[in-house]
Amino acid sequence: MRKNRFISILALVAGLAVGIVGCATASEKGMTAKQSPKAAEVAQMISDADAARKKAASVKGEWRDTGKFIKNAQKALEASELERAMKLAKKAKAEGELGYAQAVAQKDLKMPAYLKY
Amino acid sequence: MKKLLAMSMTLMMAVGISSNVVASPEADKAAWDNHYKQRFPGVPADDYINGVYAIDKVGRENWEAIEEFPPYEPFIDAGEEMWNTPFANGKGYKDCFPKGPAIAQNYPHWDKEKGMVMTLALALNNCREANGEKPLKYKKGSINNILSYVAYQSRGNKINVVIPKDDPRAMEAYEDGKKFYYTRRGQLNFSCASCHIQNAGNVLRTEVLGPAKGQISHFPVYRSKWGTVGTLHRRFTGCNKQVRAAPFKAQGKEYRNLEYFLSYQSNGLELNGPGARK
Amino acid sequence: MKRKYLVGAAGVLAAVITGAIVAPQAVLAAKGASMVEEGKKIAFDRKKGNCLACHMMGDGASPGNIAPPLLAMKSRYPDKAKLRAQIWDATTANPDSTMPPFGKHNILSASELDKIVEYVWTL
Repeated sequence: MRKNRFISILALVAGLAVGIVGCATASEKGMTAKQSPKAAEVAQMISDADAARKKAASVKGEWRDTGKFIKNAQKALEASELERAMKLAKKAKAEGELGYAQAVAQKDLKMPAYLKY
Repeated sequence: MKKLLAMSMTLMMAVGISSNVVASPEADKAAWDNHYKQRFPGVPADDYINGVYAIDKVGRENWEAIEEFPPYEPFIDAGEEMWNTPFANGKGYKDCFPKGPAIAQNYPHWDKEKGMVMTLALALNNCREANGEKPLKYKKGSINNILSYVAYQSRGNKINVVIPKDDPRAMEAYEDGKKFYYTRRGQLNFSCASCHIQNAGNVLRTEVLGPAKGQISHFPVYRSKWGTVGTLHRRFTGCNKQVRAAPFKAQGKEYRNLEYFLSYQSNGLELNGPGARK
Repeated sequence: MKRKYLVGAAGVLAAVITGAIVAPQAVLAAKGASMVEEGKKIAFDRKKGNCLACHMMGDGASPGNIAPPLLAMKSRYPDKAKLRAQIWDATTANPDSTMPPFGKHNILSASELDKIVEYVWTL
């Protein structure tokens, strides 16, 4: 009887321990990948970068690697490499803005001076 | 009298401004011809169909050696078989193009009914789809066989791109292609003209930059770098990527209009596709 | 004897003073040299400056001839800031310039640009 009780307590404690550890790892992962404020901020940065890329594309000014940077930023975010994701998102957003500005500055065709009419 | 003067002044200003911005296709072509004549005084006009080898003597020797056993020959043969093989419904390319296969000189042209520039690649796929066949991909693969065959059969015919006056949309498409040509793109900020007009004949690292005039005469092209034959729009894609710009869709509106503008500037030259390049 | 001692002391003093002045200069010079060295690497790197694609410069192999050879840069650009501005965006000075805007388009970082300027200025 006493032995039985001891075993059941032991089982309870073990179960709790497993549960706690399990919860902790789950929440830790969930926090960095999704719920942590920093991760949410990075996710927003990536979506801003993609908006900038699309805006450049709308005036035919998208650059070659912008989309790739955004994809890699997304992957980095999923792997909880927040610093890397942030760096890539920043780079992509700047490219989107520069590509847009480049196209808009040439909205009206200006013929180069080296071609004589 | 005062009113008349004012009117004519306005008219003159309007003309002055518009001639500054919109040049006729004829004037565009004359400007190119003059530019290249001054840049390469020794090159006969007919030689521009040989692309960079019109101006690169060393490269030309290697190229001529390659042309003795043309790497594109098997593609022409495969294309001939495609041309002669009926589709599942019993019809074939011959039925779509009764004057074929020497038809490359008719493209690109303005298709008034569809309201768009019609290219040879697009017309071939339209034929397939009208007969229940799957369209071919526009950059790589067997489209290059049929294009090689048609190009080969069309050799010696003259490029004659027309911008019809009865549909203002044709001129719009031409202007759109022109704007594309002179627009700087990508992180490196080059336009097509930066390399092929402004710097034609100059050396980028070890490569001589080819003149734009005559550039479309020899497509599709077997490129040693590709190890196969590729389409003009595949080459456009490569150019855009090299300047670090996102490429456009092969046979999309941007590249079709670009092809229209670019081909017009080679009017009067002979077709000599398929070609072989490094 | 006394005099000798004095001279000796003065010598030591002089050595200490010049040492104090010369040492930081030597450090600076070494730092400058490494800037130049790094700048050269970036200039020659095909994925970075890739200057040789268009310019003949220094002992770089198989240069292009699209742009002028980079020679006598100090006399062509007495003001280093002007040289930097030219590499940052050459189309400001000449709208038809083919040169990519290395700074404006983030092709190079600010510190990479500084190093290239240091190197190019030695040519």
